[in-house]
Amino acid sequence: MPSLQNTFQVVSQQKLCPKFYRLCIDAPVICQTVKPGQFVHIKVNDQLFPFFRRPFSVYRAQKYVEIFYEVVGPGTAVMARMKKGDPVDVIGPIGRPFSMPDKKIKKIVMVAGGIGVAPFLIFCDALRKKHSDLELILLYGGRSQGHVYDMKEFKRHGCQVHVATNDGSVGKKGYVSGFFPKINIDRKDTFIYTCGPNPMMAAVQTWARKYGVAGEAVCEEVMACALGACLGCSIKTRSGYKTVCYDGPVFDLQEPIF
Amino acid sequence: MKIAVKIADVIFKNPLTVASGTFGHAEKYYDFEEVKKLGAIVPKTVTFHPQQGNPPQRIMETPSGMLNAIGIENPGIDGFIQNKLPAFKKIGVPLIISILGHTDDQFLQIVEKLNQQKGISALELNLSCPNLKHKILVAQDPKATYRVVSKVKKISRFPVMAKLAPNVTDITEIALAAETAGADGISLINTFAAMAIDIETRRSVLGNFTGGLSGPAIRPAAVYFVHQVAKKVKVPIIAMGGIMTAHDALEFIIAGATMVAVGTANFVNPRAPLEVLQGIEEYLRAHKIKDIKELIGSLE
Repeated sequence: MPSLQNTFQVVSQQKLCPKFYRLCIDAPVICQTVKPGQFVHIKVNDQLFPFFRRPFSVYRAQKYVEIFYEVVGPGTAVMARMKKGDPVDVIGPIGRPFSMPDKKIKKIVMVAGGIGVAPFLIFCDALRKKHSDLELILLYGGRSQGHVYDMKEFKRHGCQVHVATNDGSVGKKGYVSGFFPKINIDRKDTFIYTCGPNPMMAAVQTWARKYGVAGEAVCEEVMACALGACLGCSIKTRSGYKTVCYDGPVFDLQEPIF
Repeated sequence: MKIAVKIADVIFKNPLTVASGTFGHAEKYYDFEEVKKLGAIVPKTVTFHPQQGNPPQRIMETPSGMLNAIGIENPGIDGFIQNKLPAFKKIGVPLIISILGHTDDQFLQIVEKLNQQKGISALELNLSCPNLKHKILVAQDPKATYRVVSKVKKISRFPVMAKLAPNVTDITEIALAAETAGADGISLINTFAAMAIDIETRRSVLGNFTGGLSGPAIRPAAVYFVHQVAKKVKVPIIAMGGIMTAHDALEFIIAGATMVAVGTANFVNPRAPLEVLQGIEEYLRAHKIKDIKELIGSLE
C-alpha cells in the first residue's frame, strides 16, 4: 500500500561490458525525488519465480532512471531480457541516501568493488552541481576485464579513476586496497564512500580509521519487502542489527560489522 | 452486499487482514487512505522482553515462496505500547495484537499490560513461531495449547485467537484443545519448519540454521489445514498461508475461514491486501452472493 509502487516502461537495455548492463526506465516521478545512494525495488516479472523483488541502487536519474547491474542470478537474468516498451513494477525511491559533504571537505574518495560502483555516478552528478572544485577520486576493483567498462561518465566529471582487477587483465593487478598507500587522505578535508564486497569495505574501514577519516558505506543483504516490514535484510552493526532497506543502505562507514 | 464478519463480539468491516510480521511500521511509506480499507491489522508479534532477532542471513527466496528466520525482532511489550501502538491506533482499523510469551507467566504479563490499553480489538497468541530455541512449540502439544489458552482467557479483556503450527500430526486435536480452552478464534497456519543448504560451504543458508517456509508454496497445504479444522471446531478461523490473489483467499473462505490474512505477499506486492479485497467483492457480485457469510465454509 505504499504510494511509491508504480508500473513504468523500459526505455532501453544496453550491455556496457561482458558482465554489466544498463536498464533505463521512464519513471519521471523517481527522477524528481531520488537522492544519491537510494535504491529502487524491482519485480522483474509477474510470475512466482523469481519470487522476491530485487533492489538496485539508482545509477543515474536524469531523463530516465538508470539501473546498472550484473547478471548474478535468476532475477538479474530475467532483467537482462527486458526490452524497450516492457512494463516494470518498481517501488522507490527508498532508503537512507548519502549525506552530502560539508564545506570543509575538499576531497571525495569513492571505493567501489564490481557492481558496487552503481550508486556513485548519480552521486558525482549531485556533487558536481554543488561543488565544482571538489577533488573526486574513484578507486574501482573488478574481478577481471569483463567487469571493467569505460567509466567515461565519471571521467567527464573530472573524476580520477583508478582501476584494479584481481587477475591484472585491466589496470593494476590485485585488490583495490592496493591503491590506498598512494592516496593521501586527511581527516581535515577528505570523506570516503564505499560500496562493494564486505571484505573490501572492511579494508576501507581500517584504512579510514587509521587516518581518522569519516565516511559512509552502502550495504547489501538479501531483501524481501524493502519497506522496513519484514526485518529480513538486517546486518550486524556496532549498535545491534539494522535493516539495510530502512536504516540503510547508506551507513556511517564504521557502523557495520563486516 | 455484506462483507462484514464477526469474531467473538468484534465486528470487522471486511474479512481482510495482514499476517503478523508482514505489515511494517514504516509509516512514512504508507498511503493511509489505502491502509484504512483493511478489515483488521495484525502487527508483528511482540514478546515480553525486547528481542534483537536472529543473525543474518535471515531470509531467502524459494520456488513460489520464502524462508525466514527473523526471530521475532521486536521492542518488547513496553516498547511496543509506548512507541508502536499509538501509530497503529491512529490508523483507525481494528487491531489484533500478536503476542508470544516464552513462559506461561510471560504470556500473562503481556496480557495484563495490554488489558490497560484502549483501542485493541483482540489478541492472537503466537503459539507456533518455528524460529526460536524452544524444543517443542506450544502448538505442537494439545495439553500445552489448552493450558496457555485457558490461562490467557481467564484474564484477557479481549477476544483471544490461537495461532497454530502446521508441523503436527493432527491439527484438529490442537485446534479442539484451543477451542475447549475458550479460544474465540483459530489462526491457521504459521510457517512450515524448513531449511536450505549452501552446497559449496555445506552450511545452512540461514543464520538461525532453520527457518519457516511461507508463500504460495504452502497454500494448498494451508487450505487443507483450514478445511480439516473447519469441520471440527465452531469458532471462526482466520486463515493465512500464501494468499497472493482473491482466488487464493476465496479458497480459504470456501474451506471455512471467516477472515483471511495476506502475509508473505506483502513483501512482493504491498498492494496485495487491497487487490485481494477488491477481488473478493467482485466475486461476490458476480456470483450474486449478498452476504459473505453464505460463502464461508460452503465447500460442497
